[in-house]
This record gives sequence, structure tokens and C-alpha cells, in this order.
Amino acid sequence: MANIKELAKLPERLSGGHRLCAGCGASIAVRQVLMGTKDYVVVGSATGCLEVATTIYPYTAWNAPFIHNAFENVAATISGVESAYRALKKKGKITKEIKFVAFGGDGGTYDIGLQSLSGALERGHKFVYVCYNNEAYMNCLSTSTMIMTENGLKKITEVKPGERVYAFDQKTYQLVLKECTGVFDNGVKDVYELSTLHHSIKATSNHPFLVLKRIGKGRYSFIWKKLEDVKIGDQVVTLKGLNGFSKAAKFEFKKVEKEDFKVNRLNDISIPEVSSPDLMKFIGLYLGDGWIREQRGEVGFALPEGKAGREELVKIHAKIFGGKINTTDNNYVYIHSVNLANFIKSIGVGIGAKNKVIPGWAFILPQEQKEALLEGLMLSDGYKHGNSWRYVSASEDLLKSLRLFLQTMGKRVGKIHWQIKPKGVICGKRKLLKDSKYGYICFSNRKPWNIKKHHSQYKIQNFLIDNEYFELEKVRSIKLIGKEPTLDLRVEGEHNFIADGIVVHNTGIQRSGATPRGASTTTAPEGKASYGKPQLRKDLTSIVVAHRIPYVAQASVSHWNDLVTKAEKAFNANGPAFLNILSMCHRGWRFPQEKTIEIAKLAVETGYWPLIEVENGVWRFTYKPKERKPLEEFLKAQGRFKHLFTEENKHIIDELQREIDENWTRLENLCNSTCKVA
Amino acid sequence: MSTIKYKKLPLTGDQAVAYAMRQIDPDVVAAYPITPQTEIVMYFSNYVANGEVQTEMIPVESEHSAMSACVGAAAAGARVMTATSANGLALMWEIVYIAASLRLPIVMPVVNRALSGPINIHCDHSDTMGARDSGWIQLYCENGQEAYENTILAVRIAEDSRILLPVMVCQDGFITSHAVEGVQLFDDKLVKDFIGEYKPAYSLLDVERPVTYGPLDLQDYYFEHKRQESEAMKNALKIIPDILKEFERLFGSRHDLVESYRVDDADIIVVALSSTAGTVRGIVDELRQNGVKAGLLRPRFFRPFPKENIVNALKNSKAIAVLDRSESFSGEGGPLYTEIKSSMYDSGTRPFIVNYIYGLGGRDIFPEDIKKVFSDLLGDIAKNKKIKSSINYLGSRE
Repeated sequence: MANIKELAKLPERLSGGHRLCAGCGASIAVRQVLMGTKDYVVVGSATGCLEVATTIYPYTAWNAPFIHNAFENVAATISGVESAYRALKKKGKITKEIKFVAFGGDGGTYDIGLQSLSGALERGHKFVYVCYNNEAYMNCLSTSTMIMTENGLKKITEVKPGERVYAFDQKTYQLVLKECTGVFDNGVKDVYELSTLHHSIKATSNHPFLVLKRIGKGRYSFIWKKLEDVKIGDQVVTLKGLNGFSKAAKFEFKKVEKEDFKVNRLNDISIPEVSSPDLMKFIGLYLGDGWIREQRGEVGFALPEGKAGREELVKIHAKIFGGKINTTDNNYVYIHSVNLANFIKSIGVGIGAKNKVIPGWAFILPQEQKEALLEGLMLSDGYKHGNSWRYVSASEDLLKSLRLFLQTMGKRVGKIHWQIKPKGVICGKRKLLKDSKYGYICFSNRKPWNIKKHHSQYKIQNFLIDNEYFELEKVRSIKLIGKEPTLDLRVEGEHNFIADGIVVHNTGIQRSGATPRGASTTTAPEGKASYGKPQLRKDLTSIVVAHRIPYVAQASVSHWNDLVTKAEKAFNANGPAFLNILSMCHRGWRFPQEKTIEIAKLAVETGYWPLIEVENGVWRFTYKPKERKPLEEFLKAQGRFKHLFTEENKHIIDELQREIDENWTRLENLCNSTCKVA
Repeated sequence: MSTIKYKKLPLTGDQAVAYAMRQIDPDVVAAYPITPQTEIVMYFSNYVANGEVQTEMIPVESEHSAMSACVGAAAAGARVMTATSANGLALMWEIVYIAASLRLPIVMPVVNRALSGPINIHCDHSDTMGARDSGWIQLYCENGQEAYENTILAVRIAEDSRILLPVMVCQDGFITSHAVEGVQLFDDKLVKDFIGEYKPAYSLLDVERPVTYGPLDLQDYYFEHKRQESEAMKNALKIIPDILKEFERLFGSRHDLVESYRVDDADIIVVALSSTAGTVRGIVDELRQNGVKAGLLRPRFFRPFPKENIVNALKNSKAIAVLDRSESFSGEGGPLYTEIKSSMYDSGTRPFIVNYIYGLGGRDIFPEDIKKVFSDLLGDIAKNKKIKSSINYLGSRE
């Protein structure tokens, strides 16, 4: 690595007098790259600013052999030159050592040029490809999806950024809690329903699911597969249960006092602050047979004399709540208490016959309390049928939530079956006045597997057999449902969460020009999308790394030492090398011409453009700022981001910052996970 | 000159071309397979694998990259070849123009196949006719023997320092490329002597005298550069006959810009390219036996357009039918017809000229069809002195 005095003495291969703008990042990058070798270099360039401004006939600024062919084929062209070199060298017609470099802009590399770049990398020609780049894309779930959060099961629309959700740790295969760092409204899209034996979820075709992949005899790994790539029979990771992560629910309920309310009398009643098995049993009974009449402050249960539930109810009531309970009626039990009515209403179990539901917070209760709730429920409208239980209800929400609830308890649950009892039929003691629709589900306990005895066999059948929280289920069907409003979450760290019991990926670090909710209606310009978002449209660096070439790196003109070192490594690589260099364009990015290097520095210091290299598959940072500056500093220095600094758009800056942070973490993980591979 | 050693082998057109490529031993070949050219690349790859040639083979991922790599390699001073057909040629279209304008002597056997759509893998000339304005020299071969000889010839023509234009050597897909015939092959050393060593004037690898290939031309220079290309093509017409004579001297095989078969006193002449000319020749002989003065004109070079030779052959006849195996969709006939008709404008005589478009998508053309053409010429035109219709379609279900 020569010092700057020696570098300054090297002959300029790109001479002055070319027509690139004052302050153009491209020419600086080119000159720095060419300092990476003392050998002769043949330069190829794709159609673009570089070529147009440096070769205006009859002048050329190139003091090196130079070829421009077309827009998308500089990699193929240089492949030809490099092959000719090898052919002629073999025949003894050429003896000099010559290096080859291809320059392509983001257009000539990413889209139209990707094929020719990929072909050249695959063939292993010994050349350096240098590129400049940008952009992003996105994926989503239906708004009816239920997410497993720290505070219980919630609809995806109710999850807030900052909340913690359950996720699948991809290294240890364990359940972890991770922070949700963003919720995104992705509008109405075509949605498919993926169903397994026990679970089903609605998602768009590009939403990734965690699927088991066999990589050898008895060896497996998990890969993320887009829904459109998932096949029937693929095994997806689903949630078995939350053992160990469960905790009793806390209630914050303020009782009504005598002075607050115009009442004739206020019955004394004690309201529990924490859930308990008894309370859950009570709630179970309530869900099946109870109701509330708010006006009267009355809680009623349809439990006739003789039914086992009635006795249980009275016992529990006395134990937990205390106070009077009216059991005079043969068919019904009444509790007159405004406070109890309000309390029941506040815990989200529903008040009428048709709108009962198992509340979200019940999903994270300890198994014992869940069993109690189930018991109470069975005492109302459930019955045993052979070895399994059946629960009947007219409430669709109750049945759906019950099904999910049972799954989290590790029960075997079937589908919800619907039936219609036509009008006129005698039901119980009454004749039906109209058609009555009701549904039922069956469930039973699972037979425990003797895992210790037949471990390897069970493992073959179900890779996650000995996992406490997760299991694998085969995909049974994937059907197009139609257009639905969709949302997605971003989760830090593991980047996945549990939706409808299935492990799904969050919205990637990559996000499209379709920006978050609100922004599309304001002044946020889509225009040349390449200026819109700081993420990579395609993670080109990773695409190139996937070709398993010896050397790939990202560099910035502000860190010339780093860039020239990388160029040297690239030219000395024993095969293709790829350099991704951020190139500032003062006209497009809108900043004063003299600030080019300053902007380049900010790009690095804010983490917008990480300086990394990948040598034979091993990722590492070549420079890490001691403390990353806030992205805002980079954004506000450029006119192309001016629109983000308004009241309505400020949140986009926060999102961009989060994406930068995540990308940084992702890179750190890559560095950590590949450093042993050497 | 001592005895010329010939080896005769039963080869398909593709195999014959591949054999020629083996004898040429180009420095670089970048090719992508497409039916019916695939065999050329396959057989040549075998030669490479067996070390019979020293060629650097680039297995590119598309025809566009094939021609791109050829341009790079040729600019680097290597002797370069590739091969393609139909949509492969269409895919590399923009680079084909660039290759000619950069004056790179690339030789490309093209196995004529119909351009999609609908997709059809059989013979017609729509592919290379579509590239007639690209600045490439175009040769049409009647049979495998010609394909073999023209490939060797093409290298010399392309690399001639007064020409320096790329050359397409065209043969009929499946009809020639996949049909076996006895091909007389020349001695390896003779071929090497004929094509000589390639000495490029400007090479990217001549690092001490760096050059810029493919600069930006604004309004002030583009036109002049294109004029230079025009002049090169015009010069080629003058220089090629000398090269053909040299070829004859060395190999004993006579070639002309056009093949005139019994046209000197012919009343009616059919003009056809490639394999169909063989069928026409047979019918000409038959008619001659019956006292009809028929003749066949077969242009071998389409680019540069050998106007003088064609006009000389046709001007004394009464009626001419030009057979086109491609449509221009101008409403006024195929490319060969329009170019010939326009050449005849300056001839001083005015024979009747009609067009028959035939054989699109590999539709077979039979002796009966050719007979019909000749009888049309005899009947309607020469006798009645009027043309029923200028543009006809031969062999299609009307």
C-alpha cells in the first residue's frame, strides 16, 4: 500500500480535460481505482456519463486502451478482451502483464447489465468490475392476521412499534422476544391462504416463510421461502406453545365507588388484580353461558339446576369475588354488581351471546390457568365425545380464537365445522323460530412421544420434535383468496415473528419506492426512484458474493486509502473481483459541487454506505465509525431529500434510520457468521 | 503447383463449417447455442476439448454477450469467430451494427432460420436479410461444400486491411446444415497458408500505443465515420474478386461474386439464393432440353451488392422471376427482388421482373413449383407482354 506521495506520482490514466462535471464522484472513483495497479490496464466502460464525457471524438481522455461497446454488456466485452489476452499470451504473441477493468453505472450493472455481469463472474474471467448503485422492495400479510406479542395475541393492525413480539431464533431454534420496529400499511393486494393441518394464514405471494430444507443425509437447515415458492408438502415452522414464557395476566380495573354513581345500592365485591386458575374457570363459564346487561349492572349465566357448571360457578364466585349471588331461578344465575359487569367488560371477553372471544392476553397465561379456562368452557357448551372433546358455539369469533388458543396449549385441534339447524326443529325445550347456524370443533390431548427412546426416528419425522416451542407442519394447500388490505411488521434482530401460529419473515431491510402510509399522499417524490431510498434496490453486493468470486468490496471516494487498498486487492485477485463504489452526483443529488468528498464522508460516517469487503466468502468491515452519526446529517446535506424534513414526512427519516441500523446489524451478523470460514 | 491433396468426408453443413473453423483455429470463439446452429458449436467444442485447436472458448450466457465478447476480443487483436441463427442474431442485433462500425473482422457462420413469431426453427432468410443494413458482408451458400469453402474465404476477406468488415456466411437451416453430403476438404496447411496470420492495426492489447474504441460521436463526426464504412463496403466489391482468384489458384475451386448458369442467351431467368438454386438448376437443364432458353442467376454475395454482375447477367433476358425466401412487409415484395429491380432501372433494357416469395418457415419448394414459375414467365409475360401480378406467393395456401 503506497503512501499518498507515491500515489500522486503515478501516471494518470484518465487525464484531465474530460467533460465530467466539476465535483463528479465518478471520475474520482475511476482515478482512485486505477491507482490500484502499476500494470498496464485495459479499460471497458458501459454507456453512461463516464464514457460519454471522456471520449468525445476526436478527443479521448484515456491514456490507456479503452473500449465502449453498448449499455448492458461491458462485462461481456471485457470477457472477450481478457480471453483474447489469454489466447494470444498462450501463443507467445503477448508477453506483458495486463490487467482488465470494467466500469458500469447502476443501470448498466443492476438491471440491463445484470445478465452479462453474472455470466462473466460465473466464467471466472480475471478482471475487476467497478459499479455505482441504489434501491428497494417489499412484502405483506392480510390485516386479519393475529400476531403473538408479549402482551398476548393481537391483530396485526393493533401491533405498535416498540412492542415486543415473539420470534424464532434462527441459530438456537428457540422462542425469543424481539422488538417490533415498524408497522407498514401495504395497501390492498392479492392475498393467498396457506394452510397446514393446524394453522392457516393469509399472505401475499412474496411473503417469506421459514421452511425446512434438507441439505444432506440427516442434515437440515431453515431457509426463507417466498409464498410463491412454497410447495405443498414443504414443512413450515409453527408455534407449539409458549411454556416458560407465560405469565399471569394483571388487571388494572378501577372500581366504582358509592359516590361516583347514582345507584340504589352498590354491592360489595372484590375484584382480583391478577389472574388465577379459578378466575379463568369463571371466565370459561362466562364465555360459554354468560352475558352482561350493562344497564342493570347484571351478569347472568344460563346454567340450569343440575348442571355441574352451576355449582362450580357458585363456589368460585364466593371464593374470588365474594358478595351476593342470586340462584333463585332454576335456569339462570344472576349476579347484580355494576363493578363485576364493568370488570368483565374491561377484560375483553365480549358481552353478548354472539360476540364472545378468548381475549388476547389469555394466550400467554401459564398452562394451568389455560386448562382452567378450558375446563370452565367445557362445563358450559362442551362435551366429551369418545377420546376427544367437542365445543359447540354460534359465535364464530369464539370458535376461531378457541382454536388458536388450543393450539398454543399443544392440543390436537381439528377444523371448525359449521351446521345449520333449520327453523321449526325442536331444540332443547323450544322450537326454533329461524335457521340457526352453529359450529363446533374437536380437540384432544396429544399422545406424548417417547422422545428419549426413539429420538433419531422422531427427529426424521419431525426435525423440531424435541423443541419446546416450535414444530414443523406440512403445507397442505395454498389458495388465492382475493384482494385484501395488507400490513407488515419489522422486527429487530431475528427479523421474523409469529403470525397465526406460523413463523414469517418481517418486511425486509429492502423497501420499495412505495413508501409507508401517508407518504404516498404527500410531497414525497417517486420520480427517479434511485434517489428516493437509501437502501439497495437489489442487494447487489450479496448477489455478487453468491457467485463465489474471490473478492467483493464496498468503498467510498472519501476514504481513498481504503478504496485504493481494495482496488489493489481486486486487481490481484485470482479471478473476478467486484467493487461497489458510491458515486455522488451533485446535479442529481443537489449539493454544491465542492462538497462531494464531504457528502461521501457523511455517507460512510452515518452507516448509509458501510465499508465492507468479502474475501473468499468471509465478510468484514474495513472501517467502522466509532459512533455512527445520525442519518439525518447525510440527508439534510442534499436537496433530493429536502421533502423529508416536513412535519408529515419526518417519520420517514426515522424509518430510514432504522433501516440503516438493521442493515448494520445484518452486516455484523454476516461478519460474525462467516469469520470462521477461512 | 504440386498435387492438391483433398480429403472427402460425408459431412452435414454444420459439420463442414466446424471443420473449417478447426482449420482456421481462431484465437477466440464466444458462442451460444440455437437450433440449427448448435452442431457447429458442439463439434467445434469437441475440437477444443481434444486439443485440436488452441482456441479460447467463451461459453457465454446469451447471443448478445456472444457478440459483445467477440467485439472485445477482436478489438484486442484476436482472430474471432462465432455462429448463430434467427432470434440469436436478432438478440445480438445492436452489437452486430457496432461490430461493423468498429471495423472488426469477425467471421460468423449464420444458419438461416425463420425469425419468430410464430416460433419456427426451419429455414428462411428473414434473419440475415434483416441484418442487411448492418454493414456486414453477406455470403449465401448453396450447399455444404460452399459453406465450408466460404467460411475459409470469409476470414481472408474480413481481415484484408483494405476491407476490415465482419462477414456473415449463410447456409440454409436443416436443408444444408443437417443434410449430409460428400464434402471435399482442403489440406490443413494450405488453409493456414491462405488465411495467414492476423495482424491487427489497432489493438487494445498494444498497451504502449493506447487507442479508444467506441467513442462518442456528436453531430460533427458521426456522418463521416459512416461514410468511411460505406466506402469500405464499396471497396470490398472491388477487392473481393482478387481474393476469389487467389482462392481458385490455391484450391482449384472457382468462385465468383454471382453464379450465372446458362444466362448468356436466356429468355427467362430465375434468380434464387442458397439451396433453392440447386432445384432451379435442375429445372433449367430440363427446360433447355425441351428447347426453352432458361437460365439461373445465383448471387453468392448479397452484401456488398454485386450490381454490375447481376445487371450484366439479366439485362438481355425478357422475363425474370426473383425468388425471395423472406418478406420485407413493405407490400412491394422481398429484399432480393427490390434490390434487383432497382439495379435494373439503370440497365438500359426493361425485362419484366416479378417476385415470388416462397419457403417461409421451412415450407418446402418442389421442382413443380419452379416449373410453374418458369411457365408463368413464359406464358403470361414473355408472350402476353403483361404482368398479372408482380408479387406472388409460391407454395402457400392462398
